[in-house]
Amino acid sequence: MAKPSSPKPAPGLENSKSAALQAARAKALREAENKTNSSTRRVPAVGPGIASDGSKVASKEQETQKSTLERLSEKKKDLWLAEWWWVLGAFAWFLFIHATGLFFFTKGFLLTRLVLEEHSSCAVPPIAPMMPFKGAGTIEAGCWHPKTFDKAVVIIIDALRYDFTIPYKNETEAQAFHNALPVLYETAISQPQNAFLLPFIADPPTTTLQRLKGLTTGTLPTFIDMGSNFAGEAIEEDNLVMILRDEGKKIVHLGDDTWTALFPGYFEEELSRAYPSLDVHDLHTLDNGVLEHIMPLLQEKEKKEQWDVMFAHFLGVDHAGHRYGPNHRAMTAKLQQMDLMIRDVIKALDDDTLLVIMGDHGMDSKGDHGGESDDEVQAALWMYSKKSTFGRTDPTFSTPPATAKVRPVQQIDLVPTLSLLLGIPIPFNNLGKPIEEAFAGKKGTAWNNLAAVGSMTAAGIKRYQAAYFAARNINESTIGGPPNELWATAERTLSTKGKDKMYKDAYVAFSAYQEETLRVCRYLWARFDVPSMILGIGILAASIVSLMLYASANADDGDAVEDPGLDRAEQQMELEVFSKGIDPTDAETTSRAMVRTALVGTALGVATGPVLRIVVGGGSYLSFGLAPGAMVGLAAVLGQEMKRRTTLHNPLPTTFWGWLAVIFTISQSIGFASNSYTIWEDSILLFFLATFGLATAISSLRLERLSDRTLGVYHSFCFVILGWVASFSKLCREEQMPFCRSTYYASTNSSTSAPWQLSIPFILAAAFPSIIKSYYTGSRSYEGFAPVWIGWAFRGGLLLSAIFWTLNAADDAEMFPSLPSGLLKSIRVPIAQTILAIALGAGTTAFVYAPPCVAVSTTPAGSNASQNTATPARATVTILGYANTHGTRYLLLVLNLLLALLLVQKPMGFGALSLMTWQCLSLLEILDLNALTSSPIGPIILSLLGSLHFFKTGHQATLSSIQWESAFIPLHTILYPYSPILVALNTYGAQILAAVFLPLVVLWKQKPKKKGMLGSLIAAMAWHVGYYATISLATTMWAGHLRRHLMLYRIFCPKFMSAAMVLVIVDVIGVLVVLVGTRWNFMSVGDVFGWA
Amino acid sequence: MASATAKGAYAKTSLPTDLLPTDLARIVSQTHPALLLAAYYIRFPAFVADPVSTLLGSLLPLAVIQIVYATICLPPTGSSMKPMRKPKIGALKKTTAEGPPGRPLTAFFALLLCLVSVPILTILQVLFGAPATTHIPHTLLSSAHLALLAIFPLVYVHGADSGKWREIASFYSPIDEVFGGAVGCLLGAWLGAVPIPLDWDREWQKWPVTIVTGAYAGYLVGKAAGVWLLKGKRIELD
Repeated sequence: MAKPSSPKPAPGLENSKSAALQAARAKALREAENKTNSSTRRVPAVGPGIASDGSKVASKEQETQKSTLERLSEKKKDLWLAEWWWVLGAFAWFLFIHATGLFFFTKGFLLTRLVLEEHSSCAVPPIAPMMPFKGAGTIEAGCWHPKTFDKAVVIIIDALRYDFTIPYKNETEAQAFHNALPVLYETAISQPQNAFLLPFIADPPTTTLQRLKGLTTGTLPTFIDMGSNFAGEAIEEDNLVMILRDEGKKIVHLGDDTWTALFPGYFEEELSRAYPSLDVHDLHTLDNGVLEHIMPLLQEKEKKEQWDVMFAHFLGVDHAGHRYGPNHRAMTAKLQQMDLMIRDVIKALDDDTLLVIMGDHGMDSKGDHGGESDDEVQAALWMYSKKSTFGRTDPTFSTPPATAKVRPVQQIDLVPTLSLLLGIPIPFNNLGKPIEEAFAGKKGTAWNNLAAVGSMTAAGIKRYQAAYFAARNINESTIGGPPNELWATAERTLSTKGKDKMYKDAYVAFSAYQEETLRVCRYLWARFDVPSMILGIGILAASIVSLMLYASANADDGDAVEDPGLDRAEQQMELEVFSKGIDPTDAETTSRAMVRTALVGTALGVATGPVLRIVVGGGSYLSFGLAPGAMVGLAAVLGQEMKRRTTLHNPLPTTFWGWLAVIFTISQSIGFASNSYTIWEDSILLFFLATFGLATAISSLRLERLSDRTLGVYHSFCFVILGWVASFSKLCREEQMPFCRSTYYASTNSSTSAPWQLSIPFILAAAFPSIIKSYYTGSRSYEGFAPVWIGWAFRGGLLLSAIFWTLNAADDAEMFPSLPSGLLKSIRVPIAQTILAIALGAGTTAFVYAPPCVAVSTTPAGSNASQNTATPARATVTILGYANTHGTRYLLLVLNLLLALLLVQKPMGFGALSLMTWQCLSLLEILDLNALTSSPIGPIILSLLGSLHFFKTGHQATLSSIQWESAFIPLHTILYPYSPILVALNTYGAQILAAVFLPLVVLWKQKPKKKGMLGSLIAAMAWHVGYYATISLATTMWAGHLRRHLMLYRIFCPKFMSAAMVLVIVDVIGVLVVLVGTRWNFMSVGDVFGWA
Repeated sequence: MASATAKGAYAKTSLPTDLLPTDLARIVSQTHPALLLAAYYIRFPAFVADPVSTLLGSLLPLAVIQIVYATICLPPTGSSMKPMRKPKIGALKKTTAEGPPGRPLTAFFALLLCLVSVPILTILQVLFGAPATTHIPHTLLSSAHLALLAIFPLVYVHGADSGKWREIASFYSPIDEVFGGAVGCLLGAWLGAVPIPLDWDREWQKWPVTIVTGAYAGYLVGKAAGVWLLKGKRIELD
C-alpha cells in the first residue's frame, strides 16, 4: 500500500522506489482523495481480469490499455516468482543453520561412552580363581569359576513389571494386572532352593533395544542411540551372546526381532524364529509363534540336543500395555497365558538346565515406557532350576520382596550371574555383580563361593576400568579415589583370619567395590563435550539474531491506509510509467542479499573445513565442514545486515503488542530453566493465551464502530473460551501427579478412548464445516470451490475419520468377537488410506488448480455506486469475496492438511485440533479488526497455540508419551519413510497446523492486489520460526547448564529433544508447505486479478 | 486506524479523578495503603493456614476500609468536582438538578454494583486456568477481594455511566488514584500466578494466596503510581 507521506521509505520490496515515483504517487494520492470512495467490497472495473471478463462496457481507450496492463502484470509476476525463490533459499538456509546448531549441541550433550574392543577369553581370568578347581580355564568345567549348569533357557517377558508377579491381597482393589501371574511367587515360596524372585532394576532409557544391550553387555546404556528404536544395530561390544557363540555354544532365539538386529547370524537358523516387534496392535501373533516353537525345543529329544542356550522374547504383555494400559482384561489374559507358559516350561525342563524369566523394563500407569520413572524401571527377575542350587543368606529373604524398593538387583547383575553359572567368561565391559541368591548355596552359607564369584567379578571390573582409563588417556589415580580404596580393603580382608567371617567380609568388600565403581561410572559417562555444546548454542543464538534482522527488514511498519481510490490512482500511475517503457524495478531485496551472502559465507567456510581439520589434527569431516560453514555464513549475514543499517535503531519493541510477543517468548524460555515450569508448560501456555485474548478484547473495546467492537470482543472471548475448553484434554505426565487428571484416554490406566470420546469426531463432522463456513460468509467468500470443498469433501473426510476411529475402538474393545480377527483392521486401514488420498492427493491437486473463492455479480450502470466514480457511464462489477481473496483460498490448503492431521489423532486429539483451528480463525479476525496483521504478536500467538495443543493432543515432552501406534493408522506394517512421518504428524500435529496457518496472518482479509505481502510473509515466518528457535536455544542452554541435574533425563533432556524436533519440523514445513502453498495461492489469485 | 478517532473522542470527555479537596481526604488517602498493608500482613499467616475462612472473615473489614476511604477521599458519582466543566454543562445538568445522592447511599449502591463484578472476575480467573471444579469458594472469595479493591472505588466514582465504563473496560481511562489502583490490582493478581507452579513446597503457594497477595500489592503500587507518577496518562496499546 502506498505511504507517500511516510517519513522513512518503506523497507523491503518498496525501498527502491525512486524519488520521482514518490512524488508522482503523492500527486496521485491527492487526486484520489478528491474522488469519493466507494464501498470496500465494490470495486470499479479496472483490474485487468475484470476488464477482460467482467465489464460489459469497454471503451476503445481501454482496449489499448488492456494489453499494456497484461504485459505489466506478466512482468510483475515474473518478478514475484523470481523473488520467491530467494525467500525459499533464505528459509532453507535457516533450516540448515538450525540443524547444524542442534547437531553440534546434541553431539556434545548426549552421553558418549568409549566402546572398548577387548573381549574376555576363557583361558585368561582377570585374577587367578580364589579357590582353584580342576579344569579351570576350560569351557567343560567352567572358565573362571566352576559351572553350575550346562544349558539355559532365558525367557524375556517384555515389560514384566515387578508388581505383576507378586500377590495382591486386597481382592476388591486389585487391578487387572494383579494376581494373574502367580507362578513365579508360588515357586519362590514353595521351593526356595529351586527358585527365587527379585525386583530387577533397569537403567533408563527403558526401551527394549537399550535394555537388551544392557542385559547382554553388562554395561550402562548411553543416550546417543536412543533414537534408533525403529531399527536396531549390531552390538560390537563384548557381550554374553558373543561369548556363548565363541565358546561353541549353540544359541536359539525365538520372538522379538530386535535380537536378530542386535546379533545378526548368532543364532541357529533352523530352530530360531524372529517376528516383527513394532506392531503394538498385534498382541498375539508373536507370542503364539514363540509358544508354538518353544515347547518342541524343550520336549523333543532330537531337537533338545541342537541347542545350549535359548533366548525367548515375548511381547504380548508390552503390547497389551501400549494398546490398553495395564489395567485392562487383555492384560489379565496375557499374564495368565504367560503363567501357563511358564508352568509348561517348568514341566519340560531338564535337571541341568537353568530357567530365567525376566522383564526387560516395566511400564507406567498407561502401559508405556522409555523414561526413568519407578514403574518403568522396576522389572521382575526369576530364576529356576530343577536341582536345588539357590539359597538365601538370611531366612527373612525367603519371601520375595513385597515391593521393588526392597532388595532389588540391577539388570546388569544378570550378566556375571549367568556367565558364572554357565561357566563362561564374564563379558569384558561388565559392571554388574553376581546375584547373591544364585551363589549362596542351598543353606545360604556358602560365603566362600560368594567371595570367589565376588572377587572374580570385581577383578573383571577393575581390569575393564584400567583399560578404559588407558584408552581415554585418563590417569586412573586422579579419579580412582573411593573405588581404589575399597579394592585395597577387599584384598586386605582376604588375608585376615577366621574363615567364614573372612569370606563374608571379603564378599561384602568386593560388593562395595562394585557398587562404588558403578556409581563412579554413571557419573563419568555423563561426559559432555562442552565446546561442541557451546558451538551449537552459539550457532542457534546467531541464527535467531539473523532471523530477527531478516524479519525487521521485511516487516510492514504500521497499518496501511485502506483506500480503493488510492489503489486505483496508483495502478493508473504505474500503468502510465510502464507504458512509457520503464519496467517495474527489479531491485536488490533483503532476501537476495541475504541468501547470496549466506551462501558465499557458508561455501567459504565449508571450503576451509579440511584445512582447519589438518591444523587441528583430526576430527570428522562432517564436523569440520558444518562448523566453519555455519559460522562463516552467519558471520557474513550478520556483518552485512549490520552494514546495511547505517543507523542502529532501537531493537526493542515499540508497541504493547510487540512487548507482549517478547514477554511471552522470553519468559517461557527463562521458565524452562525450572523443572516446575517445564512440567506445567501446558498451564502456562493457556495462561498466556488467555492473557492475549483478554488484551485483544480490551483493545477491541477501543474500536470506533460498534460492529467492529462487538466482533472483536466476540472473537476474543471465542479464542479464550475455546482454548479453555480444549484444555480439558489432558495427558498428565508422572511429575504432574497428583494435581492433574488425565482425560485423553478412557482412564488414567488406559490408552484407549472412552466411548463418549468417539462421539467427538461425529459431532465435528456435522458441525465443524459449518463453523468454517461462517468465517467465509463474513466476507461473502463462500463461493467458487469453497462450498464443494468444505461442505462436502472436508465433511466427508471428517465422517470417514469418525468411522475409522469407531472401527478402531470396536477392535480394541473386541465388541464383535464373532468377526474373524484382523477383519476390522483390514476394513479400517483402507478407510484411512482413502482419507489421506482425499486430503493430500486430491486436496493438493485441487488447491493448485482451484480458482479463488470469489463470484462476480454485475450491477448495471446508473446505480448509486456509479454516480460517485469518475466515469459514471461504466457498469459496476461487484466481486463477492473480493475482500478476502487471498485468505479464503489459502485456507483450503490448511483444511486439506488438517484432514490428514485429524486422522492421525485419537478422538480427543481430533477435538483439540479442531478447536485449535477454530481458535486460529478467530485469531485471524481479531488481528484484522485490531490492525495487528503486521505485528509480531500474530505469528507468536500461533506458535503458542501450536505448543498448547501439542499437549492437548495427548502428548508431553517425555519419551513415553509418543503414540507409536499412530504409525499403523493407514498401514499394516512398518514402512519407511512413512511410519516415522506418521508418528511425527501425530506428535507435532499442532505445531504443524500452526505453521501452515501462518500465512493467513498476512493473507486473511487481504485484497488480491495488495502490495508487499511477500515481505510481510517473510517477517511473519521469521517471527514464527524465531519463537521455536528461541525455545530451542533456551532448552539447549538449560539442558547444557543443568547437565548434572537430578532431573536431566527426566525433564530437561526430553524437553530439549522435543523443542529441537519442533524447530526442525517447523522449518521444513515452512519451506515445503507454507512457501510452496503461498506460491500456488499467489499464482492463482494473480492470474485472475493481476499481479500487485 | 479506527482507534485513532476513538482516542480523540475520549480525550475530550474524560479527565482523571482528583481527591476531594479536604485535608482529611489527603490524610486518609495517605493512610489507606498503610492500613491495608498492615491488615494484610497481620492476617497473612491465618490466610495461608485457612484461606477460605480468612478471606470470608476479612471481607467485611475490607469493605469498611474501602467505604471509609471512598466516602472521605473520593468524589461520589454524579458530583461535579471540576470547576472547569461546570459552566459548560451547567444547562444540561438541570435534569439531574436534585443533586447527587448522599455519600453513604452512593457507597451502598457501589457495593451492590461491585457485587456484579464478582462472577465476572471469577469466570476470568477460571479462564486463566484457575481450578474449575474444585476450590470454588476460594476463587469466589478472591474475586470478592479483587472487586472490593479494584471495582468498588471505580463504581463509587463513576457510577454506571456506560461511556465511562467502556473507557475503563478498554483500559483507556486516564490514570488516577482509582483507575491506577484498579489496573495495578488486576496486573498484580495476574503476576501472582507466577510462583504457583514452582516446586518449592511452600504453604503459601496454594490457591489463591499468591493471587490475592499480588492483587493487594498491585493495588497499592498502582494507586501510588496513579497519584505520583502517571496521573492523567493513558495506556496506549499501539
